[in-house]
Amino acid sequence: MSDTPKKPARAIKLNVLNEPKDSYTGGKSSLCPGCGHDQISNVIISAAWENGIEPHRVAKMSGIGCSSKTPAYYLGQSHGFNTVHGRMPSVTTGAYTINKDLLYIGVSGDGDSASIGIGQLIHAIRRNMDMLYIVENNGVYGLTKGQYSATADIGSKKKKGAPNQTQPIDLCALAINLGCTFVARSFSGSKKQLASLIKAAMSHKGFALIDVISPCVTFNNNDESMRSYGYVKENEITLHMTDYIPHFNPVEEVEVPEGHFRDITLHDGSTIRLETISAEHDPSNAVAALAALHNAETDKKHVTGLLYFDSSKPSLAEDLGLVDIPLVDVPNEVLRPQKETLDKINAALHS
Amino acid sequence: MDTIANDFTINIATANGTGSQSANLILLQSLFEMGVPVSGKNMFPSNISGLPTWYIVRLSDHGYQAPGNRTHIQVLVNPATWHEDLESLEPGSVVIWNENAKMEMTRDDVISYPVPMSALARKINPKIAKLVTNIIYVGVMAEILGIDQAELEAAVAKQFKGKTKAIELNVTALGLGRDYFKENLSKSDPYVVERRVNDKPQFFIEGNEAVALGCIYGGVQLLAWYPITPSSSIAEGIINYIPQLRTDEDGNTTCAVVQAEDELAAAGMILGAGWAGGRGMTATSGPGISLMQEFIGLGYFAEIPSVFWDVNRVGPSTGLPTRTQQSDITMLYEGSHGDTQHIVLIPGTIQECFEFGWRAFDYAERFQTPVFGLSDLDLGMNRWACEGFEYPDQEMDRGKVVRDRDVFEAFEDFGRYLDIDGDGIPYRTLPGSGMDPILYRGTGHNSKGAYSEKPHDYYELMQRLKRKIDGARDLLPAPILREETECEIGIVYLGSMETTIQEIDDILEATGIKVSQCRVRALPMHSEVENFIRRHEMTIVLEINRDGQLYGILRKELPNDLITKVRSVAYSDGIPPRAGIYAQLILDTLKEGEL
Repeated sequence: MSDTPKKPARAIKLNVLNEPKDSYTGGKSSLCPGCGHDQISNVIISAAWENGIEPHRVAKMSGIGCSSKTPAYYLGQSHGFNTVHGRMPSVTTGAYTINKDLLYIGVSGDGDSASIGIGQLIHAIRRNMDMLYIVENNGVYGLTKGQYSATADIGSKKKKGAPNQTQPIDLCALAINLGCTFVARSFSGSKKQLASLIKAAMSHKGFALIDVISPCVTFNNNDESMRSYGYVKENEITLHMTDYIPHFNPVEEVEVPEGHFRDITLHDGSTIRLETISAEHDPSNAVAALAALHNAETDKKHVTGLLYFDSSKPSLAEDLGLVDIPLVDVPNEVLRPQKETLDKINAALHS
Repeated sequence: MDTIANDFTINIATANGTGSQSANLILLQSLFEMGVPVSGKNMFPSNISGLPTWYIVRLSDHGYQAPGNRTHIQVLVNPATWHEDLESLEPGSVVIWNENAKMEMTRDDVISYPVPMSALARKINPKIAKLVTNIIYVGVMAEILGIDQAELEAAVAKQFKGKTKAIELNVTALGLGRDYFKENLSKSDPYVVERRVNDKPQFFIEGNEAVALGCIYGGVQLLAWYPITPSSSIAEGIINYIPQLRTDEDGNTTCAVVQAEDELAAAGMILGAGWAGGRGMTATSGPGISLMQEFIGLGYFAEIPSVFWDVNRVGPSTGLPTRTQQSDITMLYEGSHGDTQHIVLIPGTIQECFEFGWRAFDYAERFQTPVFGLSDLDLGMNRWACEGFEYPDQEMDRGKVVRDRDVFEAFEDFGRYLDIDGDGIPYRTLPGSGMDPILYRGTGHNSKGAYSEKPHDYYELMQRLKRKIDGARDLLPAPILREETECEIGIVYLGSMETTIQEIDDILEATGIKVSQCRVRALPMHSEVENFIRRHEMTIVLEINRDGQLYGILRKELPNDLITKVRSVAYSDGIPPRAGIYAQLILDTLKEGEL
């Protein structure tokens, strides 16, 4: 028995489902200390917790690469599928047709999405499948030890080797051109912006792409790299301040003067508020979004924020004309037509 | 002259895209409706319009369905293959030829029936004379062979369902062909068609449509596919049946269809479906399976139910896309890198196409693994007689899926890959259920599904997978045996060779050799196959390929004392198996065996 008085138990913070944040965490990361990907994992954890998403109703999908290992490090109560290199979109599409009511969070990298799997990414966007697709984009292949990826910026130099001279693929520009219904770019070092974008993407019905610049501390964080922490901090152009207001909380009183913000209502009734910094960006204007990307590239800058948004397109589930309940819950007796139907078919074939 | 009734082969040489397929199907259907045992083989090119195509119609009271060993009646419409076709005929053959083709009759040892087909067709409608030409030769043949006019007209009506104009036009053209022969030529050949009474009514249907219907009754929930000859009609068949069979009164369906961007994506999608607890399938051919290899390995290693139909065409590479072969056996059985082994169902009849269509899903979910259906172009795209489909005699088997928390909590220990029952098949929970959430992976894993590179974990996992698939052997469709008593020679064969085996058997028997037959219907092979081989002095493995792939699998899996009893007869030239060729190869092999 000790005389020292007991420390009062600190109240555990709970979300709208009365779940502690611990219900959303995962295993210990095996990535390099300081990796941008781990910061993104933490934001995913916070975003899911704060959004009050039931952890077991999330499906964590990934391909192959450093980024694709991360589903082991968040949402430990969710099923997940670490698939094959670049092919996560197709696996997710198949899973989605069977259970359209889960929240699909795909995490991919620039090798996965801009090279080997670019075709699958393109077609998933084209189908407007309901999913949040995060690209953890560092411009290099990490697991194979530091080769340039297809998103490496021209003139950027990784730790070893010559500067990259090959034209990069801008996944946001690609997505906008493909008619992607939610396109954003962020930076793993901008936690607040990233969190509101991820939360908004979770509330979006359709394909939401967030391209997150996520520095590789081992192979591409040197001064000559255009994807290092230092470079991105210095050269980030933020389109707007972003705030997410969940549907279960009423929209707060306007903090910023009228005319200086734009509210976008998302599918589940939540709102993303874009507060103007200098010139206003209109996310419904694809040309403006492409111009912003192009200008940033010309100036060797990175533009971040919600680039493009469109809520008018049907998502894949609507296109497929499926029954209301997820196919996984349709009973066997319904899946297999009754015997009389086969008798009829036999009779018709005989006639 | 003596007549030859219902025992001859007709070869019709036309160009692709000229409407000859409709004409040929009308001929086939009318013969079929007269009760004549008949088969039709469409030898078409990989082309939409203009390249040579042949249609072979075999009439056989013996029920032989293979293309005959020779042509008795040649129809010549296509100048491009005129000489080649003419030269290949035996003396005394009948040639019905288009006088307006600007080609010469260069044989004087055949029975020649020149018909101005194009001129007659132009009489009906000059604009579509090319299309009508084909139905003219059907009319001519009907007159020569004695095909019933009522049956012909019924076949026309069936072919052009409700299109009054087309029906009228075709019936007129048939009449013109008939009348031309009656008025201008006289029959000097022995071939006639005689009506037969068939006790069991049958209909004609393609294997691919039977597979499609089987899949629908198997409760398919996702069809993900990429178009490829000769498999597309499986997918299209499913799509056609969905409104009737899998759609509710509000027009919503229980079967999703996604036309994928490529075969890789199609495979990924059906694995996603299996992972989520649904029944996903794809239909493809060899080149598609080549592209799907990576996912096939993932399905095996992460244990995801999935169904792949492979309608085999001639490989390697693009090969002969519109010809038939049994050459994907090894690729399916041992698909993907690393040590793998897959369940393969091999239908040989139309009924089995339907039956394995629904059973494939049960096996996939029972064994939690990719399951292949192996058909081929001959079975899949040609029409075969069928008495009717039998409704599944078993409830859907959804395998070891834990759906209730009570059940889950009753397990003393649980792991996604834990062999609780000792049969190598673990239990699984589904995404969204909240039970035993794991991150599925194609990397090494332990019995709980967690990443592991430990030697023991890897070794045990691979041994269990082997045990699991091995355990399927005797639960899969058993071979069909036709055994003669005290017979020394056995034939092991598979798939569409079923349509030729009886004729081969008869040819061998005519030389005094009796053989027993064993048709393999699934891989890994049933223990009955080994028993069959053990009961015979020598067994010949008969396949439509170059290398003897099934033979290779047997050599690998049979006990040492049986290996020397097995011989390979493998042959393939793209054409459906002709009995004469295989019978001769078997005789040669038996002769070698004696030495």
